Amino acid sequence: MKVNLSTPLKSLALIGAALTLTAGMAAQSVASDWKPSKAVEFIAPANPGGGWDTLVRTAANVIRTENLAEVNFAAINVPGGGGAVAWAQIARDNRNDHKLFATSPPIILVPLAGTSRFNHTDFTPVARLITDYSIVLVANDSPYQDINDLFAAIGENPRLSVGGGSAAGSMDHISIAGAAAAAGLNAASVNYIAFSGGGEAMTSLLGGHVEAVITGAGEAVAQLQGGDLRALGVSSPERIPGLDVPTYKEQGVDYTFDIWRGVMAPKDIPEEALRYYEDLFARMMETDDWKEATERLGWLDAYQNSEEFGAFLDGQLEQFRAVLGELGLLRN
Amino acid sequence: MEALNNLMYGFSIALDPINLMYVFIGVFAGTIIGMLPGLGPMSALALMIPITFNLNPATGLILMAGVYYGAIFGGSTSSILLNAPGVAGTVATSFDGYPMAQKGMAGKALAIAAYASFVGGTISIIGLMFIAPLLSKVAVSFGPAEYFALMVLGLTAVVSLSDKSLVKGLIAAIVGMMISIVGMDLQTGTERYTFGSIEMLDGINFLVVALGIFALAEVFYMLLRGGKKVQKRNEIGSLKLSMSEVKEMAAPVARSSVLGFFTGVLPGAGATIGSFLGYSMEKRLAKDGDTFGKGNIKGVAAPESANNAACGGSFVPLLTLGVPGSGTTAVLLGALLVMGVTPGPMMIEQRPDVFWGVIASMYVGNIFLLVLNLPLIPYIARILDAPRALLLSLILIFCMVGVYGLNFSSFDLVLLLVFGLIGLVMRLNGFPAAPLILGLILGALMEESMRRALQISGGDWSIFIDKPISLVLLLIALLSLGLPVVKKMIQKSRSA
Repeated sequence: MKVNLSTPLKSLALIGAALTLTAGMAAQSVASDWKPSKAVEFIAPANPGGGWDTLVRTAANVIRTENLAEVNFAAINVPGGGGAVAWAQIARDNRNDHKLFATSPPIILVPLAGTSRFNHTDFTPVARLITDYSIVLVANDSPYQDINDLFAAIGENPRLSVGGGSAAGSMDHISIAGAAAAAGLNAASVNYIAFSGGGEAMTSLLGGHVEAVITGAGEAVAQLQGGDLRALGVSSPERIPGLDVPTYKEQGVDYTFDIWRGVMAPKDIPEEALRYYEDLFARMMETDDWKEATERLGWLDAYQNSEEFGAFLDGQLEQFRAVLGELGLLRN
Repeated sequence: MEALNNLMYGFSIALDPINLMYVFIGVFAGTIIGMLPGLGPMSALALMIPITFNLNPATGLILMAGVYYGAIFGGSTSSILLNAPGVAGTVATSFDGYPMAQKGMAGKALAIAAYASFVGGTISIIGLMFIAPLLSKVAVSFGPAEYFALMVLGLTAVVSLSDKSLVKGLIAAIVGMMISIVGMDLQTGTERYTFGSIEMLDGINFLVVALGIFALAEVFYMLLRGGKKVQKRNEIGSLKLSMSEVKEMAAPVARSSVLGFFTGVLPGAGATIGSFLGYSMEKRLAKDGDTFGKGNIKGVAAPESANNAACGGSFVPLLTLGVPGSGTTAVLLGALLVMGVTPGPMMIEQRPDVFWGVIASMYVGNIFLLVLNLPLIPYIARILDAPRALLLSLILIFCMVGVYGLNFSSFDLVLLLVFGLIGLVMRLNGFPAAPLILGLILGALMEESMRRALQISGGDWSIFIDKPISLVLLLIALLSLGLPVVKKMIQKSRSA
């Protein structure tokens, strides 16, 4: 299978840029004179190396190299509790308008699982920036040819193992369980095997220890190039350009799942500060450096401004709550 | 001799003056970072990411790899001198390294650590060069059942690590395993032993426990012995190794390097587990095994060669599968992606400059490390000349700064104190610390693997004996537990 991500992604990035341009201008018209007066703490609520960390470091770097702000955006790691430690710290600092953090589905999932007192409503959404999608992989010699084969097999054999890189009840699990539910199965019938990282899940699939693996499409590109694995379906609404993998929808399973990433701020920051940051990130996404970075990292631009992002998060909450409820993992 | 051609190509990249400079910067920074407890290779690499933004990918990885193996190389220094492991992979080095320093042989211990690290590193590079693509098959053949069996085999080392009382050793190991399961359970998302505190959700950091139980407990212990003034000025001793010592260590270093390398290849295992396996293997094989833990030179050589070899081994899954086996290699993977290189099955073909350039740079880096470290030993070891009050305060500061630097969490400092006190109580009552650490590093992976395997098999325990690798590992574990018992019974029946 030949995968060429560069050109189609570029064109997609251009469309995204056009969209963000309009969004950016809209934001600019209401932007006021508020400016950060000192370095802005840009927190990744996890250890170095993961998705949040990469987002924070890449964004901070683009803001610096493109001279988008007069102050430095300092990447800071606050690991612990799958994000909960950082959220608790930021929630206490509710008026600090020099503090931002990277966010993604765990801000909704972790509180639902009962391990964080704070959820997305305790913070101010600034902007959604990018998204990735889930992809289901099997070994090349697997008997399953499409996503329906896999779900049919799960329906007959609830022991069929599907590995993922995060704990039970977190992103990968919700993604596959939700898809199974959409295909008419009980969400709990997926025998989800939690590995402590997408990499470990992938080696288990390569070694034939699990039947299938669910992971991020961006992470899977190299594996698909290697030719030992095949993709059965991807959770995007439309095919990801350059990645020749059919969506769930094309295969008759009406389900999408976004691994979105964005930026949030403490709850009670002034309106002007929020507008400043909203505008800053909109402008950042138009820059060449950002486009180059997203292309490299396999991210797809998915900008939403503060208001749209907030509404989107409320929608995600309901979707996740339903799946977690069916899995019996809802604790809050 | 394709491998040699490739290596020549690699050297043409590694010996480029700019790359040479970055290898040097990398290993130098790495050694220093490794010496300071707490500031591990992971945070050091994260700090390097902005620097690598503007570098060519091969140069960037050469720099970061240098920091990584440099830190493992340097980590032994504080283990030996202060009983405060610089990085997690060098905990086992303190078992015999610190007693050696106490006996006035600090210089020799540091020199052995340097030579053993060099050999371990070099052997792992040779492994990387010739069999990396082949080894990726070994790495994927280890599934949950195989990991469980490997951890069981590792745990049998408790027997050799508990010097006086086996019961006390087992108690310590079980306490260690209990500490390892604190936090959120991966398979169910349930919190265990967290007492509702979000700080404990991710579990207790290994280094907090290690620094508490070893270094802080040592400080407390010395304070208790306070007024007696048992020690006068510490001697550094000679750095020179005699011919017989070299001969004595040759086989253990070779064995531990190979063992360490293979451990490193397995995602999730890595330098810490590798060094423990190397240490306990040599303790069992040695004729003078009972002097391990009291300053045996092989007890320094084995873990040091194993952890450096494991560090090289961990590049196998990273570069050939695109799979990070540890937090540190995850940061490396992230940095490579940012630089536009996607590690994975196609990397050797797509980016041979990065792949072979880095491997060749490791040869160079290891030589740099040896040349850099040996002449410095007498100066670094001077730290032991410091008056005791100063030295104890220094260890205290090292521990606290190191632990705080892990997560910038003051909660970890409280945990450090708690484990320091636990360590002191254990020491006063004759409980060995090493089995606790062993239980801690193996426990979590063992439990997770066991439950994963059973979840895959639908609760059928035969998965552990149906899989050939798992069966063999379990049999070796059984043998290693059973043989000493049988031996004793035979001896008894003969003498009777």
